[in-house]
Amino acid sequence: MDLMSRERRLRELYARWLDAATKAGFAILLAAFLVYAGGLLPAYVPLADLPRYWSLPVHRFIEVTGAPQGWAWLGLLGYGDALNLAAVALLGLVTPACYARLLPALIAERDWLQAALALAQLVVLVTAASGLLAGPG
Amino acid sequence: MEIAAATPWWIWPIALFAVSFAIGIVAVLAGVGGGVLFVPIVGSLFPFHLDFVRGAGLMFALAGTLAAGPPLLRAGMASLRLVMPLALVGSIASFAGALAGFALGTAQLQTLLGVLIIGIALLIWRLRGADRAEVEPDALSELLRLEGEFHDAALDSTIDWRTHQTPLGLAAFAGIGFVGGIFGLGAGFANVPALNLLMAAPLKVAVGSSGLLISVINSSAAWVYLHRGALLPLVVVPSILGVMLGSRIGARLLGVTPAPVVRRLVIVVMLLAGLRALSRGLGLWT
Repeated sequence: MDLMSRERRLRELYARWLDAATKAGFAILLAAFLVYAGGLLPAYVPLADLPRYWSLPVHRFIEVTGAPQGWAWLGLLGYGDALNLAAVALLGLVTPACYARLLPALIAERDWLQAALALAQLVVLVTAASGLLAGPG
Repeated sequence: MEIAAATPWWIWPIALFAVSFAIGIVAVLAGVGGGVLFVPIVGSLFPFHLDFVRGAGLMFALAGTLAAGPPLLRAGMASLRLVMPLALVGSIASFAGALAGFALGTAQLQTLLGVLIIGIALLIWRLRGADRAEVEPDALSELLRLEGEFHDAALDSTIDWRTHQTPLGLAAFAGIGFVGGIFGLGAGFANVPALNLLMAAPLKVAVGSSGLLISVINSSAAWVYLHRGALLPLVVVPSILGVMLGSRIGARLLGVTPAPVVRRLVIVVMLLAGLRALSRGLGLWT
C-alpha cells in the first residue's frame, strides 16, 4: 500500500475515534452541567457562594473553599461540581484514546517511526493526566 | 467586584454563554482561534480570576478543535503525519508553560497577556498566507515523510505538498506550545503562519492541521489546570457550549458575511482587550 492511501486509512481511523469520543464527551458534559446547575445534586462549593470566591487566585480559592485538587474530585462524584470535573476530564482523555487506537494500527503497518512518535505522545499525555508532575505546587 | 459578588450567580454563566456564542461566530468569520479573543475579553469583563479564565480558555480551544477535527481529517486538510512530531514537542512545551503560568503573579500575567494580545493583533493584521509551488524538503522532513496530498475543491485539483525547515518548525512549536500553556490559548494565530510561512505547508493544510495540533497540545496542558483546581465548571461548561453553538452559526454565515470587515473588527477588539489587560497588569485601570 502506498504512503497516501495508508495515510488516508489512518486519518479515517483517527477521525472515527475522535468523532465518537468527542460526541460522547459533549453529551456527558451537557448532562453533568444540567444536573449541577439545576441543583439535582448538591455542589461541594455551593453555587450561591461562588461569586464571593471566584475572583481569588486559585490557591486562595482552594484554601478558602476546600475545593478538590489533583484526583481528589474522584472521591466526590456525589457533588455536582466534582461530577462536572469528571466530565471535563473525559474531554481531556479523547486525544489519548485516539492515539491509543492509532498505535497498534501503525505497528501493524510496520511504520516504526510514526509508531514511536505515537507512543511518545501517549506517554506525555498519560504522564500529564496522572498528575505526577502537574500536582499542587 | 462588590457589584459582581452581589449579582445572582446564574447571571454569570448565562452572560458567559452569550459572550462565548458571539466569539464563536466572530472567530469563524475572521478565521482566528476563539481562545485568543476569549481569554482577554472574559479576563477583562468578567469577575473571575485570570487563573480560572486561562483554564476555561484552554478547554474552550480544546473543545472547539476536538469537534472540528473529524471533518478536517476526512477532507485531507489535517495531516496526521505533519501533526505528530510537532504536537509531541508542542504538548511537552505546553505542559511546561501551564506550570510556569502558575508560578507567575496575577499582575505579571495580565501585563504579559496584554502585550501578547496586542502583538497577535498586529501579527494578524500584517501576515498573509502564501502557497509555494516548489519546496525542497530538509533531511528531517524526508525522514519523517512530511508530505501529503489533498483535493482543493475551490480549484478542483489535487495538490501534492511537502514541507521544509523542520528543525525550525519544531522549535517554533515548542515556543508556541509554551506560550499557549501559560495563557490558556489555542495559539492558532501562530500555528498557521509557522506551518504555512515557515514550513511551507499549503495554507489549507496549515489551517486544518493547526486545529488538530491544538487538540493534542492543549490536552496535555489541560491536565495541569485540572489538577491545580483551576477549572471551574460554572465558567468552563457555558463557555464550551456557547462557542460550539456559535461556531456552527458562524460557519453558516461564512458565505454571506464580508470577512475582511469582520477581520478588522476582531483586530480592533483584540487591541482594546489587550490594552485593557495591560492597563490592569500595570495597575493603571483596575
